[in-house]
Amino acid sequence: MARLVAKAVSKTYGATKALRRGDLEVEAGEVHVLIGSNGSGKSTLCKIVAGSVRPDGGQLLLEGRPMTVSGPEAARKLGIGIFYQELSLAAHRSVAENILLSDLPGGLFVNRGALNAKAQRYIDLFQGVTGDDFHADATVETLRPDQRQLVEIMKALSSEAPVLIFDEPTSALDRAQVDRFFEILRRLKDDGRSIVFISHRMDEIFALGDRVTVIRDGETVATKRIAETDPAEVIRLMVGGEETLVAAEPHQPTVVAATAKTVLAVSGLSGAGFRDVSFNVAAGEILGLGGLHGQGQSTVLRALFGAPSPTSGSVQLNGATLNPSSPRATIGRGLAYVSGDRRRDGVISGRPILENVTPIHAVKQRLALASPSALRAKAKPALEALRTKFATFNHPISSLSGGNQQKIVIARWLIDRPDVLLLDDPTKGIDLSAKTDLFQLIRKLAAEGMAIVLYSSEDAELLGNADRILVFNGGRITRELTGEQRTRFNLYQAAYEAGEAA
Amino acid sequence: MSTVEPTATKRFSFMDILKAPLLIAIALIIALLLLGEYLSPGFASGQQILRLLIVAALMGIVAAGQNLVILGGREGIDLSVGGVVSLAAIIAGNLMGGENSGIVLAILGCLAAGAIVGAINGIGVTLLRIPPLVMTLGMLGVLQGLLVVIRNGIPSGRAAPGLSQFVTQPVFLGLPGIIWLWIVIGLAMAFLLGRTMLGYRIYAIGSNEQAAFMAGMPVKTTRILLFVLSGMFAAIAGICLLGYTGSSFANVGEQYMLPSIIAVVFGGTALSGGKGGYTGTMAGATLLTVLQSILTTVNIDESGRQMVFGATLLLLMLFYGRGKALRA
Ligand SMILES: Nc1ncnc2c1ncn2[C@@H]1O[C@H](COP(=O)(O)OP(=O)(O)O)[C@@H](O)[C@H]1O
Ligand SMILES: [Mg+2]
Repeated sequence: MARLVAKAVSKTYGATKALRRGDLEVEAGEVHVLIGSNGSGKSTLCKIVAGSVRPDGGQLLLEGRPMTVSGPEAARKLGIGIFYQELSLAAHRSVAENILLSDLPGGLFVNRGALNAKAQRYIDLFQGVTGDDFHADATVETLRPDQRQLVEIMKALSSEAPVLIFDEPTSALDRAQVDRFFEILRRLKDDGRSIVFISHRMDEIFALGDRVTVIRDGETVATKRIAETDPAEVIRLMVGGEETLVAAEPHQPTVVAATAKTVLAVSGLSGAGFRDVSFNVAAGEILGLGGLHGQGQSTVLRALFGAPSPTSGSVQLNGATLNPSSPRATIGRGLAYVSGDRRRDGVISGRPILENVTPIHAVKQRLALASPSALRAKAKPALEALRTKFATFNHPISSLSGGNQQKIVIARWLIDRPDVLLLDDPTKGIDLSAKTDLFQLIRKLAAEGMAIVLYSSEDAELLGNADRILVFNGGRITRELTGEQRTRFNLYQAAYEAGEAA
Repeated sequence: MSTVEPTATKRFSFMDILKAPLLIAIALIIALLLLGEYLSPGFASGQQILRLLIVAALMGIVAAGQNLVILGGREGIDLSVGGVVSLAAIIAGNLMGGENSGIVLAILGCLAAGAIVGAINGIGVTLLRIPPLVMTLGMLGVLQGLLVVIRNGIPSGRAAPGLSQFVTQPVFLGLPGIIWLWIVIGLAMAFLLGRTMLGYRIYAIGSNEQAAFMAGMPVKTTRILLFVLSGMFAAIAGICLLGYTGSSFANVGEQYMLPSIIAVVFGGTALSGGKGGYTGTMAGATLLTVLQSILTTVNIDESGRQMVFGATLLLLMLFYGRGKALRA
């Protein structure tokens, strides 16, 4: 009899069906891997089991008995501990307090000595791999991302629960930390605990797991014994059959690409988060960057733009060397960069639309004076090309919807055309119609000869628009997909392949 | 064409008045003038109002630089302005030594001194990443020490007659030169902030420095420039102050630090940067001057006036600080 069973659990948020039909059976003494692409509902399923999300339907059984979990506290009492993907730490409290947060020793006064001694047991499990300045009294705020992840792991372990759930616990850890963590998990498994483990890394999954459950679009599609499957099958299950079709909206590879002149040539580029990246982009080409989130795609684009500069490697623009020392320098040479984080990198909040759409024009033309009427005349065609909806140029940009704000940020690059357009997940958080407008424009710009590099966290956008896709894994390009190779299956396979340790 | 029509203009409401610092300031100025006239007949006579405007111009010119630094954001503030005013008054007094022939040299010398102080402030803030509050407070300390040293070595100079006349006597249409100078500065600031790319850049940096950097704007150079301009405006005020008082005396400029900040905030410029302008600041400086004068009329001494000013600033922060907190 399975220790933990989830039967057809479901959860809807407004219009989003986060989980349609989640099934999961976990035995005592096994490591059960849960896998599925981003947004497929893995975290939602875990949170339902751990009591932090109320399901809309379905049933949970523990040791064969139906259980209702009224909240995280109840789940913990029932014997379910969880590592949250988004972490659940109190930033201003100490490591020890965080590890024992859910069952701090009672009484009016906290006995710091007893508390630290208890927490130290869990800290000692990771002795030698925690890195500097990691101790029971350190404030979580001061820790590095990997150290915070370790605290969240220790916190989950401290529950000493028979069922432990780990939702992407290794994303920030280095190889030594992962190895230690796996040793601990194996010991726990041998003690008879049940472990649910989510990871995107095939090597980890196949090294550690006993069984794997695949979730696709909010539905459990299969559970397999690890010993009886292989990465290709798991990916096929995630994708849903081995399709050969490119995408819903196939974009024909540019015919001229073979003969078109290379506009941007990147060779051996390295920097924080990426290593030895080389590629060329031709005039009229849309080059896609793919792979799991945070594998270096974004940092490479920023490095090309000079924010911050790469540490080594060379960049040629139209045959001449480009030194990406700062955005100002690269803009002057004909580069453009659109960030997906428009609130941070793009929008000059509180300022009028006019001031938001003209800064690049001012830099490129070295304008000293600002004539609003002349600037309006320049900006208007650029805004119309993107079908931007706005009242007047004097309205603050913050009065617009997210999609229209992003259109304004993009339009600022269109007054004086750049040679290379670097798009860093440009559609993040914008509405569907704005996305459509944006990709129509991008294809038009490419057709007119602009070289475009597109990183998108949505695979459909890449498959539907890129002539060629470079897949990033662990800061390197691990695969190039051209022509008929641009399938969802190939993209997933390359993305989920074992990367090198970060 | 896909732009939509602006939504129907909102009906005018009482809340809108409260949100327009310029209107509030002007209404308060008039109210205070009437109050002053009631307390002490003659307070609001033409002659008195001219005198008030001269004093307001001195404060307003210092506040122009303060305004730029604050607009530039990143907790921009210049606490060293008072020290620069005093320094400029001494330098000017000595370089002109009571002679009209020395005026040009004095002006150049003072502007250079103000620019140097501002440049050091700006470099400290941008390249050395010292918080503006700390950097300019430290600079104020240095300047105060420097003033003591200078005063022990050389006599305090005198204003040239031409300078005194420019500041205190009508030169055109019955208004003294300093008021014309203030008007010109007001127009220049409006032009700078509204009709030049440097102005756009100042607002952009104050509003979202990272976005400004990603749009290719020279963030550090611009911020240094703002501190340089602040030093130069304070220097101009220092020269004019010498003309107003005739000779420089110890720490004449000290009284300008707090009011220059209050005038900017009163005028609707956000201390968080990126929002506001100089027109409001001019009204704010005038308002503060009238308030100062009323306090003097009712025999409240310097320490009392400082207390009122400090309380005013805190009250303003309470009102305007709300909006800032909401935006964050
Ligand atoms: N609190 C929430 N509000 C609205 N939508 C949510 C919420 N949590 C998750 N979702 C949505 O539900 C879907 C599944 O999310 P999640 O379970 O986090 O997926 P996974 O962990 O597999 O990446 C996603 O489309 C996500 O955007
Ligand atoms: Mg998740």
